[in-house]
Amino acid sequence: MNDYLTSITPDGISGALFALEGVAGSVVLLNGPTGCRYYHSGISERQILRQKQFDPLNFNERFFFGQSRIPSTFLDSGDYIYGGRDKLVEGLEYIKEKLPNHKLLAIVNTPGAALIGDDLEGIVNNVFSDIDAVLLETPGYSTDICAGFETGALALLETLNPQKKPVVDKTVNLLGLSLFQKYFKGDLAELKRLLGLCGIKVNCALCAGSSIEEIMDIGAAALNIVVRHEYGIRAAKYLEDTLGTAYMLCDGPPIGFGPTEDFVVDICARLGADPGPALEDCGRARAAAYMHVWRLASSVGLPRGARVAVEGTYSEIYAYFKFFIGYFGMLPQAACVFCPEMDGMRHKTEELLAAHGLSGLLGRDIMSDGESELVFASGATISRLVGAGFRFVGVENALPSMGYVDVIDKTHLGVAGSMLIVEQVLNGLLF
Amino acid sequence: MEIAIYGKGGIGKSTVAANLSAAMSMNGSSVLQIGCDPKHDSTRLLLGGRRLDTALDYMRNTNPPDYNLNAILATGFAGVGCIEAGGPQPGVGCAGRGIISLFELLSTFQLKGRYDATMYDVLGDVVCGGFAVPIRREYADTIFIVTSGEFMALYAANNILRGIRNYDGSQARVGGVILNRRGIDDEADRVQAFCSAVGLPVIADIPRSSAFMEAEAKNMTLAESSPKCPEAIIFDLLAKAVINGVQKHEARPLSDEDLEHIVLGATFSEKAEASGIAGDIATSANLPACIEAQAKNSFLDFSSSKRYLSKSVANGEALSSCAFNGALYVATQIRDAVVIAHAPKSCVYISYNGMGGTGRRRLFERGSLLPSSVSPNLVATDMGEPEMVFGGMEKLEQKVAEVMAGKPKAIIIASACPSGIIGDDIDQARALGNAGTPIFTLKADGNMTGDYSQGTMMSYIELARQVIDTRVQPEENLVNILFERPSYRNTPELFEAVEGYLLAMGVKVNCRFLCETDYESLAGFNKAALNLLANDDYSTRQLKGFFETEFGAKFFGRKLPIGFGDTVDWLREIGGIYGKQDVAESIVALNKERYEKATSRLRASLEGKRLMVVTYSHDLDWLLGAAVDSGIEIAKLCIIKSSSDEGFRTKISDGFFIEEDYDISKREADIALLKPDILLSNYTSNAPSEVAVVDALQMVHDTGFFAGLDYIERWAGLLALGLRGEWENDERLFNQYYS
Repeated sequence: MNDYLTSITPDGISGALFALEGVAGSVVLLNGPTGCRYYHSGISERQILRQKQFDPLNFNERFFFGQSRIPSTFLDSGDYIYGGRDKLVEGLEYIKEKLPNHKLLAIVNTPGAALIGDDLEGIVNNVFSDIDAVLLETPGYSTDICAGFETGALALLETLNPQKKPVVDKTVNLLGLSLFQKYFKGDLAELKRLLGLCGIKVNCALCAGSSIEEIMDIGAAALNIVVRHEYGIRAAKYLEDTLGTAYMLCDGPPIGFGPTEDFVVDICARLGADPGPALEDCGRARAAAYMHVWRLASSVGLPRGARVAVEGTYSEIYAYFKFFIGYFGMLPQAACVFCPEMDGMRHKTEELLAAHGLSGLLGRDIMSDGESELVFASGATISRLVGAGFRFVGVENALPSMGYVDVIDKTHLGVAGSMLIVEQVLNGLLF
Repeated sequence: MEIAIYGKGGIGKSTVAANLSAAMSMNGSSVLQIGCDPKHDSTRLLLGGRRLDTALDYMRNTNPPDYNLNAILATGFAGVGCIEAGGPQPGVGCAGRGIISLFELLSTFQLKGRYDATMYDVLGDVVCGGFAVPIRREYADTIFIVTSGEFMALYAANNILRGIRNYDGSQARVGGVILNRRGIDDEADRVQAFCSAVGLPVIADIPRSSAFMEAEAKNMTLAESSPKCPEAIIFDLLAKAVINGVQKHEARPLSDEDLEHIVLGATFSEKAEASGIAGDIATSANLPACIEAQAKNSFLDFSSSKRYLSKSVANGEALSSCAFNGALYVATQIRDAVVIAHAPKSCVYISYNGMGGTGRRRLFERGSLLPSSVSPNLVATDMGEPEMVFGGMEKLEQKVAEVMAGKPKAIIIASACPSGIIGDDIDQARALGNAGTPIFTLKADGNMTGDYSQGTMMSYIELARQVIDTRVQPEENLVNILFERPSYRNTPELFEAVEGYLLAMGVKVNCRFLCETDYESLAGFNKAALNLLANDDYSTRQLKGFFETEFGAKFFGRKLPIGFGDTVDWLREIGGIYGKQDVAESIVALNKERYEKATSRLRASLEGKRLMVVTYSHDLDWLLGAAVDSGIEIAKLCIIKSSSDEGFRTKISDGFFIEEDYDISKREADIALLKPDILLSNYTSNAPSEVAVVDALQMVHDTGFFAGLDYIERWAGLLALGLRGEWENDERLFNQYYS
């Protein structure tokens, strides 16, 4: 077994594609070879149920190649010399005929296509004179997924150019949710439910399932909530600059009972809403969890002192560790940071760890640690750790998955998410 | 002799090149002139004004197996061979990449040696890696720079020297400067001053003359139009000098400041004296993207009968996935080697996810580990914007040094599209290897080489050529297994079954080429006297030819067995080869009784039931055999075109109807006509309720004697109970809530 894969983490083009795929009614055309879209198409098909897939009668070979999402222009060596204009035009005509009801067109260049510099705007305008298209000519060659996601989201906002609307009291937009996040649907549903208990309505979830109409109405919200710093801060600042909407940067995504309570209390304070019902909901969940945790603690002493490692962005690592340390009394062992250049939450994470005598832990590689009893990571990392011979329980918190198909929407956020994590922790420590 | 003519756009390079080619030819030298400019008019004067079909247009419109040199090569005045690269319209595409592709094509035709001299007439100055290809060391051995006395022409000449300097260092390849006068003041002095400063001779001084216009009006060179005129004599003298061999000089470009000072500054005679020959070598001679580019692609050898092309590449079909991905997949199977992906992060992450899916699911569902899938030895150079502009070789070399520190058994470098577009020559990195860690390269260049299958073929071929030790002698009772598919979920089980059969006969597996193997096994490939093919698809047949031709490999006539009949035949034949018929028969006997009992039982419920199959699979005997043995009647086999295989194969002589290249829009009508009881497709679709069983045929099927029987058993159960499942009726609700 090896440790060679450390640099192979989710990338910027994936982030951009998933941002634009997260707009309801969008068609995202990848200007590039077919090989660059199979993965993204598969993820998008699985994360948002939109249509039946796999039937070759529905999506024939050219452009779609049997998959319903993210058609591609299947560029080849000749196109790199002569340019991809002909295939782009043909692809756009095909989309126009095949998917006449789409609400948004986006074109994203692959690295190779970015180098040949096709005039995307001119080509699109020739085919679609009546539709705004989001064009990403150079989405980044080796950037991380968060940067790519923000690039896609900003390009979307700049293209659609939503205007200021009369503010509707007790409404929020959610920023920083992406269909690349493992429990994307469950995350959104849980946040809507919790806020709903407080009388707060979610106006728009940017790039996370909202429609063009909802995005155009984004200026009507009283507050923008940045759930994950790394995926939403640039969009929040853009909306503040252009529409004057204030934003609230979450103290990491609301993972765990305490952070969830803080989350609703903070938002309610900003909007003059009553957090009572959500806090009561959380209290009931705490009560239910208590007996299970107590039983574990009384029989084996855990979860206190259990060693845990986490993989994620700074804000995710911060949020998980805050819950693990504060609620369970667990001991962080290692942390693998995704998108390290998006380091807005780095200082806070270091402070949290330092406060518990765990300074320096952020540099400890999850692959060389080997002492954690619980590892919260992607399926890829978990399988590599198994391959490396480590004995631990892996809990998936990111894509790619090991393969489990979630039919019931799950989440690690909010009250429901806290309960799921309690369940997963207990089931990982009973041995 | 290979001559490159460079110079600023519009300076008269093509006129000079054509006249020089004609003059050399008249002096007894056979010459090939290659125009490397998208406007493709380099050879016009040699061809009486005729415009050639360009090589790049030809490549675009012709499938590789059909490539024919005569389609792009014409013979002009005095027997000069003429080829035009062509390329995109101004402002689109990448003409530099076109030059790289042209040289790849020309290398397949093995033109070197057919002519005494090749003349490359190259667009403008050296603006990118593509246009630099002709001055790479394995091409031009003599470089001439055409210039006038205008500052921008001399500026371009200086840039060209910078490009050459980047390749050559202090090597001498520049033959000199050809002054093509524009008639400006002090023109000769300006050029002489420049030449003195850079240490080059003016080897020809061509006056501005109406003779050129008159010859061009007739679409002729001077040698043809007016061979006695003074300008023709200049070319004649130049040709003689070139044929006899001109002295070569080192490229010693000036800094921009020196260039301006020398060309635009004080009196020219003073400068020529003052600046001397040495001149200043520019300290910041970093041309943007002055990258050596690949031109020699050893595995594509179109000029011989050995053509190892995937089906999609050979037929010019849309490419499925990319060669880079296929190359990585195969290369990472060598477990003690490290694979460096010379690529942007995106390309590697996408490929890695494809590789890992099978392993993760296998681990999740079966608890067993496929190391090459879940944890490939893969690193990436993460090419970014700077590498796209300035070339990525430096970053690649850094990554190689990093990996070398871990002392792996070998390093394999594979390239993605951007590397190919900007012209990084990853082969150069081989020199960084050593005996303990040799370095091998797979120049996939993303999908420029082809599709996924082409990438796997490239990997197999290149790694075989580069790694297998041909000195190794065969040993008894050893076999290799070739071309297993690491991405297939049942590959480990199939291997285990086959290895078990072989061990029972006293035969061991030497090398799994290439599946969960190691460097040592690969190098010792020749220890095995017999090779077993895992598959029998299009690519496998191509690769078998490669091993037979280049390694003299002997192959067993059957692929690894799937299904009862296939397994019986395979065992008996292998048993025959190793004198272990008794072992084979005992294995067969053990399984035959169980198989016959099962098919006999199934006949009771399936006799006469009609099966219609719509599939991409071109080899279904493992299932059809079990179906026929169970009394099922095959109503029709509808074979959809596949990107990886062609030619449906069956040994079952049941006389059923097979339609290849099936148009799937005919499916509904065929169902209505044939009234099958069982409809089997790779992807199931809505089928009329009259079809009792609608089943999905997995692309990867089970192995061994009983492969196929699980399908038949399921059909029998469904037919007996008349089950379709209530869930099917909820499509209406799905459309209501989700569509």
